[in-house]
This record gives sequence, structure tokens and C-alpha cells, in this order.
Amino acid sequence: MARRLLARLGQAAVVLWVVLSAVFLLIHAAPGDPFSFDAPNISPAIRAQWRAAFGYDRPLGEQYVRYLSSALHGDLGYSHSMHEPVRDALAAALPRTLLLMGVALALSFALGVWLALVEVRYAGTWRARLTHRVALFFYSLPDFWLALVMLMAFAYWLPLFPAGGIVDPVLHDYMSPGRALLDLLRHLVLPALTLTLLSAAAILRYQRSELLEVLPMDFVRTARAKGLDEHTVLRRHVLRNALLPVITLLGLAFPALLGGALFVEKVFAWPGMGYLAASAIDARDYPLVLASVVVGSCMVIIGNLAADVLYRLADPRLRRQ
Amino acid sequence: MRFSLLLASAASLLTLAACSETRQAASGSPDGGTLVIATPTDADVLLPPLAATQLSREVCDQVFDHLAEIGDSLQTIGDAGFTPRLAQRWDWARDSLSIAFHIDPKARWHDGQPVRASDVRFTVALYKNPKLASPFTPQVANIDSASVRDSLTAVVWFHQRRPEAFYDIAYQVAILPEHLLRDIAPEKLMTSQFARHPVGTGRFRFARWDAGSRLELVADTANYRGRAHLDRVVYTITPDNNTGFTQLLSGQADLFEITTPDQLAQLKGNAKVRAFPYPSLQYAFMGFNLHDPKQPARPHPIFGDARVRRAISMALDRRGMLRNVFDTLGAIAYGPFPRSLGSADTTLRLPPFDTTHAAALLDSLGWKRGADGMRARDGHPLAFTLQVPTSSRVRMTYATLIQDQLRRLGITVDIGGMQFPEFMAHQDARDFDASLNAYSTDPSPGGYTQNWGSGGAHKGGSNSVGYSNPVFDALLDSALTSFDPARARAYAVRAYQVLADDAPAVWLYDVLTVGAISTRIHTAPLRADEWWAHLADWTIPPAERIDRDRIGLGAAKP
Repeated sequence: MARRLLARLGQAAVVLWVVLSAVFLLIHAAPGDPFSFDAPNISPAIRAQWRAAFGYDRPLGEQYVRYLSSALHGDLGYSHSMHEPVRDALAAALPRTLLLMGVALALSFALGVWLALVEVRYAGTWRARLTHRVALFFYSLPDFWLALVMLMAFAYWLPLFPAGGIVDPVLHDYMSPGRALLDLLRHLVLPALTLTLLSAAAILRYQRSELLEVLPMDFVRTARAKGLDEHTVLRRHVLRNALLPVITLLGLAFPALLGGALFVEKVFAWPGMGYLAASAIDARDYPLVLASVVVGSCMVIIGNLAADVLYRLADPRLRRQ
Repeated sequence: MRFSLLLASAASLLTLAACSETRQAASGSPDGGTLVIATPTDADVLLPPLAATQLSREVCDQVFDHLAEIGDSLQTIGDAGFTPRLAQRWDWARDSLSIAFHIDPKARWHDGQPVRASDVRFTVALYKNPKLASPFTPQVANIDSASVRDSLTAVVWFHQRRPEAFYDIAYQVAILPEHLLRDIAPEKLMTSQFARHPVGTGRFRFARWDAGSRLELVADTANYRGRAHLDRVVYTITPDNNTGFTQLLSGQADLFEITTPDQLAQLKGNAKVRAFPYPSLQYAFMGFNLHDPKQPARPHPIFGDARVRRAISMALDRRGMLRNVFDTLGAIAYGPFPRSLGSADTTLRLPPFDTTHAAALLDSLGWKRGADGMRARDGHPLAFTLQVPTSSRVRMTYATLIQDQLRRLGITVDIGGMQFPEFMAHQDARDFDASLNAYSTDPSPGGYTQNWGSGGAHKGGSNSVGYSNPVFDALLDSALTSFDPARARAYAVRAYQVLADDAPAVWLYDVLTVGAISTRIHTAPLRADEWWAHLADWTIPPAERIDRDRIGLGAAKP
């Protein structure tokens, strides 16, 4: 197991280097640079001076070697779009995205699995049909559209929640710890709910098909023959066996924890990793783009590794192999 | 026991503060309140000589002071209309080659240090230091240096006796703290801690900046010019336009800087929010590259001929396009200037909208219609690419309208929509046929020397279309060297006419932005160059204050 893990880590390092190099080339191939921002009064000569000051006028190979060398020494560079060291920009955005995506993923998995159980349990009834159609409806919605509708509906027409932001920009600092936490949660509701509604449907459909595959198996028939009620059969026997492939889904969803959800973050003014990376690409903020890619790639690698490990822990047959 | 005493003292202080706050509210004091501004983009460098984005300029103008402040009429000749700021008064030298500024002895930096004449000397040297690479370097070219006569008197020296010498030092230069900046290498200032946590002398002091999220200023209660009426100004970064507008409607924000026509329509009948139109010194145009992008030494195969440029100008229904894009909220460009500029002249002769004349002109130049109805000459089609930044919805709509109107005249226009960095890269490399652009000028016509003068036409200059006409240069120079405002304006208008006749661009519209603001905010006069110039005088009447207005400045955080 340990040797296998080490081999996977070695492969991961190679993957990371390849991805980083490819993104480095791609982002530098795109027209413009960090100093091509919208300020018509800044002359090209001044922009050229700024480029030179940060070494962006050097040959690409030299820039690449310098970047790799700095990154290996822990210096990720300076973000020109956030106007702070990349390390600080990531440190600010990561917890925000972890919170939003963590809550959204937990809720969407819980909701998706529960709805799948409902659909299977009440197969053929109006409940199952309604669940199916509602899920399909949310599944087909574009994320930015749903985010805007949620914002208008619950922040303006029915003003139950704030219209974006992470916390109240003025009063939060003056609140007691309890009220400050409540304030954070109030701001979290709309973006987290939007993401949950969007992704729960996908999990539901995946989980439902797994449940339907397990349902006709012999051990389920045996469980029923033992006299167990349908609820217990589903929960104890069917769901536990049908959950295994969901681990794969969880592994795949893991990178989203840090990748964030660009449109939802933008609409709800939630400055997390998704929005940070997209803005960095727009602004040709090379160091921040590369750092975001490194973080994203690491999460993909970790997610896959974790899924592998979890699979083996969950499935005794794989352990025996 | 000691802890209980401390608690009791703290409680008494809080009670006193609350009483004082209540008394203040009861007495109807204008001081207090929080203004929340929803803005789409974040600040960049909070150091005046390097501030590039509008939000950075807004913040720098609140935190830092100039030696004198330009009047609302934006008069730039001599010192007429300027009011004291850091300088209580000033004396001109007999030869007008230097001005002695007498610093207000009460002026303090926000860290408590007194402002000294040496700060002025340091600031001037910094603005002119090529290692800093300030975009304002051309604007301070006539300033030679500053010297210290005594601790409160700084003498600013000029290369030449020019009408805008006072404007150059008073308007373009914000005074910086030498004691905090002298140990930082100029080339490191852009990424320095100071550029994120500035210390100035303005009526607002910098409080906090969470990049990408919010930026906060608070009133400087000990300010030598008196405290700002508002307790604090908080900028919240809301990249999505709909979110910013919803924040305003729901009361989460007080001011939203840019609204769309349909959003403005929603404000009708809303008692809590009103439209907030504000002037600017921006004008938009379709610029023609006068040089061949592939061989810059040669004229552009189409736009090298002024008659073709004039024909295209005549083929475009500028008023119709304006109505289409802005409905009733647009402002037609009267020429190569924004109407708020002191030297603007609304009677300038521009090529009229006349498609028959335009077609005849193109026919006479050999650009004849083919079987497909499109024009060509010697086998070369009359076709070009119009580059547009896709981030600007207004410019993208204009591009489509231009494409349609020119197609009717037999001209093929390909719309080259691109992200802003790519757009800028093409502009810098002069690699374009035509582009939809917007320039922001300052109150002086001096900015035209860079944007349209021969001096900026070289590669690396700001005159991206490469326009060059010695008559224009001479008239502009006369305008900038005339001490009589009427004569200066007359020269400037003649220069604009030459530019309009040469048609290096089609002047489309003035950028008149309309925001929306809560009715509880009482604004001060809005200056054309900076609507935020008198922000420290804005108020929120006590009767209209809400929870966030009542925090006060002394409130302790738990």
C-alpha cells in the first residue's frame, strides 16, 4: 500500500509539472500581459517600464526558469490583479471557497442521496415523478441564471437574505461572536443553496441508477425474505452497497472545493478561488493564474488519491486484491 | 477589583460616547453616518503617482491632499479659482519661474507627524524619478524641482514660465510623507506595504482593504481642515452589475456607480433611491490607424487618405446610434473633447451625416461598388477590422451599428471583439485598422499633446492612431502658452477644428455615467473631473440614519 502510494505521489509530481508548464506556455501565448489593463492614459512606454521592472520583457525560457526556481523556494510571486503577494491572495480566497463549497458539497450529497432514496422507494408514484421532474428542472438551469433569480427573489422581492458579500461590510466587525457567526451564515445561505440545487440533481441521478442496479441483487431479496421492512432494506443493505460509486463522484467533486464556482461567486460577490482564478486569467495575472492551477491540480490529485484509498477501505474485495 | 474598575470605566466611557452620539443626533449635527458604495472593480495601487484605476484615484483623493485645490470651474491658467489645501498661501516669484508654498502649520499626517516643506521637495523628486515610472511624468515635465526655504515653506521651480505652471504642481501632484517613503526604493513602491496602507493628510484616513472584497475609509477627526462629515466610506466590490444594483435597492449599499438604462427605469417611483448622473472628462470615438499595421512607415492602405476617413464619418448616423444605445441618456460628442472640458466648443464643424455625399466621395476616389454591392479599388476590397473590447457592452453595440451602417455604403467591417488585455496589446503594437476607444482627459488641453500630438505618435506614445499635423501641434502649443484664458481657449478650439477636419477618428459620444444613490445621502456639488472631489462634505441627516450610520467612530469592536 505504502509503495503504491509513493508511486502515485511520484506520478502526481510529474503531472503537476506538466500541467504547470503547459499553463505557463498557454497564458503567455495569450495576447496582452499583466499591464495591459484598461487605463488609456497610461502610455505604452510606462507600461513597458513596468513590464521590465517585473521581468516580463525577458525571454520566455528565462521567465519560466525564474518562475520555477522561485516557486520551488516557496515564492509564488506578486499578483498584479489583487495587488498583493500571491500567497496572501490565496490565503484570503481559500478559506472562503472551502466554506462555501464545503457546505454546498455536503448539502448536495446529502440531498442528492436522500432524494434518490425517495425516488426509488416510491417508484411509480407521484412523489417519485415530482422528485424526478424537479431535479431535472434544476439540473437544466444555467448556474448564473439561477444565482441571479435567487438573488432577486430572496434579497429584493422577499428580503430574507443579504444581496451578496461574505459578511456585512460595516456592522460585522462590531457584532458579538454569536451575531457575527449568524451574519456569516446569512450571507452563506443563498450561494450555498444555489450550488446545492444545481449539483444535487446530478448526484440524485447517479445515485438513483446505482440503487436500481443493486435493488434486484440476491442479498436484497434475502434481506426482504428475512422480514425486514422496505425502509431498513433500502437504508441498510441497498444504500450501503450503492454508495461505493458515489465515492468516485466525491473524489471528482473534491477539486471543486477549491476550484470554486465562478458564476455563483461572481453573482454573490463571494471572492473565492473560482472568481480569483477567472479574474486572474482576464487580467493576464501570470503568477496568480499559475498558483491557482497548482492549487487546482493538487486538489485533483488529492481527490483521486483519496477516492482510491476510500474505495479500498470501503470495499473488502478490493483490499483482498 | 482592578478588572471591575476597568469594566466600570469602560462602561462609563461607552455611556458617555453613546450620550455624545445621542446629543449629536439630537442637535442635528451633520457629522456621522456611513456611505456604502458598490463598485465593480477593485483598487490597484493606493499611491497617487501610480494610481491607475478609478477606485484608486477616488481613494487617493480622499486620503491625500494637494498644495491647492482646483475650483469647480476647472480653470487651469494661473492660480485663479484654486483654494488653499496643504498650502495656506503662496507667493509667485517676479519671473513666475518659482512659487513659494507656505504649508499650513496645523497640517498633520494621519500618523500624527507634522507636514513639512521637505515632504513637498521629496514628493516632487519622486514624481520625476524615472525609476518610479509614474504615468504622471509627462504632466510634471515643466516642474524642475522643489527646495526648502524653511520647515514650512517649499519653493517649487519650473523650467519655463507657462500659464499652467501652478496647475501642474497643484493639480497633478499629491503630497506624500517623506518620513514613511524615503527608505523605500522608488521601483519597489508599487508593491510596497505603503501602497496598500497609505498614510496621507486628507479628511478621510485609510482604514482597511480586503482585496477583492471591500475597502474602508474613516473620517480623520483631527484633520487640519476639519473632519469629514461622514464617519466612514466603505467600498464593496461587486463585480456583477445586477448584484450591485440589488444591493442598492435592498439598502445594503447607498451608491451604485454604473447603472444600465433598464435599471434606471426601475427607479421610477422608488422613494428611497434616485438616479445619480455625474459628468466625466471621457469621450469615446472610432479611431483609424493612419499607418499600415504591417509596414508602419507607410500610410494605411485605406485610412491613410483623409477623404476616405471623412466619407466614413459622413456615412455614420451618430445621433441615431446614440439614441439606439443610450436611449435618452446619451450625449453626442461635439468633437474631440468631452463637453465638460473648459475649452470645449459645441459649434465645431464636424463631417455631417450625409450618405449621398459619402458615397459620391468614395466613388470619386475609385472605391466603386461591385456586383455584390461592396466597394473595391484595383481588386482590393474596402474592408477593415474594427477592434472592440468585449467587456464594454456599449462599444460592442456601437460596433454592430457601425458595421450595419457602413455595409449599406458598400464597406465591409469585421468586428474584432477581444478581451481588454488583447485589445491593449494591439493598440500598443499599433496592430489594428480601426478601434472603438475612449480617452479620459484632464482639465487642461495639455493631455491632447500626448493623445493626438506628434509627440505621442511614435511607438510607445499614447497617440495610437499615429495622427500627426504640425498645424495642430502649433495651435495646441499656442493654447498652452497663452496667459489669457480667452485666447488660450480660442487657440484650443482652432486646434480641435484642425483635428476634426483631418478626421483621424469619428467622435461618437461623451461618457456620461449615471449611477443610483440612496435619497438619504445628501451630496455636495459634483466636479466634472472627479465626482468624488467634495465627498468629505456629503452628509446623512440624523433623522435618516440607519443602524450602520450609528456606530460612530469610537465604537469598540468586541
